Amino acid sequence: MTGSGADMSDPDVVVVGAGGDAPALAWRLGQQGIDVLLLEAGPFHGNEQFPAPHSERGNTASASTDDLSGDLLDQQFTAREGDMGSPVDGKLRWGPADAERAPWARTVPQTGVISQVAGVGGTTLHYYGNHPRAFVPSINEQPHWPIDYADLVPYYQHLESVHPVKPAPTTPKAELFFEGARRSGYDLTTGLNVEDEGYRPFPNAIHQPDEALRRDGDYDGDFRDVSGDTLACHEHQGGPHPRGADFEERAKRGSLTSLVPKALATGHVEIRPNAFATEVLTRAGPGPLEACGVEYRDTWTGRTRRVFADAVVLAAGCIETPRLWLNSGLPDDGWVGKGLTTHHFDFVSGTFDSDTLEDVIGQRKVEPHQGQAAGSRLDVPGKGGIAVNTFAPGITASVMFSESIDGFAFENDTTGEPWDTHGRVTGTKLKEEMSDYRRMLTLICHTDDRPRQDNGVTLDSATEDEHGPVARIDWSPHPEDDERRDDLARRASKLLDEAGANHIHRAGAAPILLHLQSSMAMGKVLDSGGEALSVDRLFVADHSALANGVGGANPTHTGQALALRTAEHLADRYFDGVSDPIPANPTPASADD
Amino acid sequence: MSYARGTIAALVDAVVPETPAVGDDVQAAGALDIDLDETVETAFNELQEAPEGPIRSLGYETMPFAPLLALLLDVGALELILKREREAPLQSPDERFAGGPFSRLAREDRMRAIRLLEADGVVPGLDETYDAPIGIVAYLMQGALFITAMAAYSDWGDDSERPQGWEQADYPGPADGYAVHMGYEVDEFEENDYGADAEEGDAE
Ligand SMILES: Cc1cc2nc3c(=O)[nH]c(=O)nc-3n(C[C@H](O)[C@H](O)[C@H](O)COP(=O)(O)OP(=O)(O)OC[C@H]3O[C@@H](n4cnc5c(N)ncnc54)[C@H](O)[C@@H]3O)c2cc1C
Repeated sequence: MTGSGADMSDPDVVVVGAGGDAPALAWRLGQQGIDVLLLEAGPFHGNEQFPAPHSERGNTASASTDDLSGDLLDQQFTAREGDMGSPVDGKLRWGPADAERAPWARTVPQTGVISQVAGVGGTTLHYYGNHPRAFVPSINEQPHWPIDYADLVPYYQHLESVHPVKPAPTTPKAELFFEGARRSGYDLTTGLNVEDEGYRPFPNAIHQPDEALRRDGDYDGDFRDVSGDTLACHEHQGGPHPRGADFEERAKRGSLTSLVPKALATGHVEIRPNAFATEVLTRAGPGPLEACGVEYRDTWTGRTRRVFADAVVLAAGCIETPRLWLNSGLPDDGWVGKGLTTHHFDFVSGTFDSDTLEDVIGQRKVEPHQGQAAGSRLDVPGKGGIAVNTFAPGITASVMFSESIDGFAFENDTTGEPWDTHGRVTGTKLKEEMSDYRRMLTLICHTDDRPRQDNGVTLDSATEDEHGPVARIDWSPHPEDDERRDDLARRASKLLDEAGANHIHRAGAAPILLHLQSSMAMGKVLDSGGEALSVDRLFVADHSALANGVGGANPTHTGQALALRTAEHLADRYFDGVSDPIPANPTPASADD
Repeated sequence: MSYARGTIAALVDAVVPETPAVGDDVQAAGALDIDLDETVETAFNELQEAPEGPIRSLGYETMPFAPLLALLLDVGALELILKREREAPLQSPDERFAGGPFSRLAREDRMRAIRLLEADGVVPGLDETYDAPIGIVAYLMQGALFITAMAAYSDWGDDSERPQGWEQADYPGPADGYAVHMGYEVDEFEENDYGADAEEGDAE
């Protein structure tokens, strides 16, 4: 093993990406004594090897938890919206660490928005910590998966105990949602394995808040004297709270603060940020082809290097994994990059008058900026899900009111519809909506959209950057996906109406590509152990490996569970196997219990 | 004031206009009061690095998308005017606007021009005629509206301690926490059985 700052020159396994899922795989491999090098295109925040990650290259790599610094995280993660989240020049964007440079290009020839983050932790730097399991029928009854739901359960359980994943606390906005759900006739769901309609608090990978933070209590501290979530609602801005806590004690269990420290602590994992993989290296093997290494480019110096290993894992996310595959000239039988699912989102908001709020939640405003960004949900297996999704005003204005495939609200007739306005809202009306921000509850609809071969990633050979032709993304819904989304938007409107909203708006969202799944699907491009069907020693361990959109449940729990499982298959196939199988004592959870 | 900047000024003014009639100083201010035209122009010019080739040899490090955005907005406006789909008379442009057709449209007509560029007009129609990713125009239009709204209501467009948009939304800005914990609707989730319903088909 090399020390901090040096580059691991001879890893057993090289992994492309250190985003949402890769750290789960690296941790599991590291536990088996397998040396893993992760190449990450973006920066490493909160790490003493890279004290000013957006203005100086810093050191080369990090291989120790000693490098992780809560103080640096506090400095870098300001929780301001634009500073953290501007997709053009924010700290959390799809682009190089160097703030002086522009984002990396993608070609999207349609109305839409992509939200992915480069950096250690990947898009979980933005995520809301929502960790529901897949809906059972999406795995056992949809035709896409070569494995059973029961195969994933032990890995779900493992992650639920390590992050940990716990019920989100009720907060005023959650109670407003719950009341709307109850009045709409839904039952409360208390089981982890979801097959039926019902509402529930989100299972979240966010430490539960300190009991001192009760609404009816008398807390008047500075939130540095509590542990767990401080209910500051800054998940989207990186979620650095509580301020002053140790790096690993931050409440939101994104991969950066939860799984990366665990991986580094094995002593067998090294992470090299600012390293953009440009080619998977192969050689003739016993089969047709086998992977043996990766070529990558340092994003600060432009220097390219090659690293060789016994196995290669792609975990660059649903867009860049297929791009890298295609740019490496690896075989494509028609499904590489295809079958992309996106949860075909929609957004529905309700605005409430203060007297109604006083009655329902005992306060005169919703206060969307207080409490977990997404703490409550309604599951509708077969259709998808509806969740409270709240943001600071900038994202509210852009996501709720400014992106739509259904035109502008001023030209849309909503007579007979359950919403009052539909489409983009601009001008005086936008200002009116935004001036009601604190009396507004915003909901997201996650559609169970199904994989289709027309949807996905190809190369745009006309647009090249320093890493080769860029990815082109085409995605459009099937009419059945539109129907499911429409059903969810109607349920969301009814729920808001039952809760007492006096004005309801439906965005009719344009594709927002932030939940991305299944572009390198198991069963199509990968075998049931996560290894490529056409290239030996090449595995995929990010959300692209999922065989579908897991029913519309938030995907990261399943992505990470699958990454743990793939790590074990990799260790079995090319190393000495797994010394401590998950779970040691299987908890019974299956159809025949 | 450049052509690009002045045309983008007409865009941001349509999304978040000044509304003096509301008689409330906080709410009356619009995007131009925080120079959002400059923010959006810069954002568009910094969206993407210039690839090796002709654009770089002209001295650009990044793609000059802001003038392209302005040009497209005028193309959409021209189409709206020629098709007689305007709903309000043309106006003499505000002094901060450029002189092209987009700058002369009433606010909602500016949005109708965007709609033509994205979905209903001749530009998207080219998609079927030519094998080129014409839909990029729709993507840029979506980006323009998204960026304008996000910047108008955050520190992206106004880097002061209390940005105008946060003030208008009455958002207090980043906080260290809130004491709003109300207990748990579910104390612990349980490892429940599954599969039985589907197997026994008890729904019938
Ligand atoms: C605002 C927001 C909220 C969300 N909330 C939730 C939520 O609550 N729950 C949930 O389940 N999901 C949520 N998601 C989605 C979730 O974040 C993603 O699904 C998840 O992070 C995807 O994991 P991944 O490993 O597939 O990809 P990523 O996390 O995107 O990781 C890919 C990594 O690979 C790196 N990379 C890419 N190309 C290369 C290359 N060529 N060389 C080296 N490195 C490369 C990237 O920089 C990145 O770090 C949210 C997303 C957003 C944007």
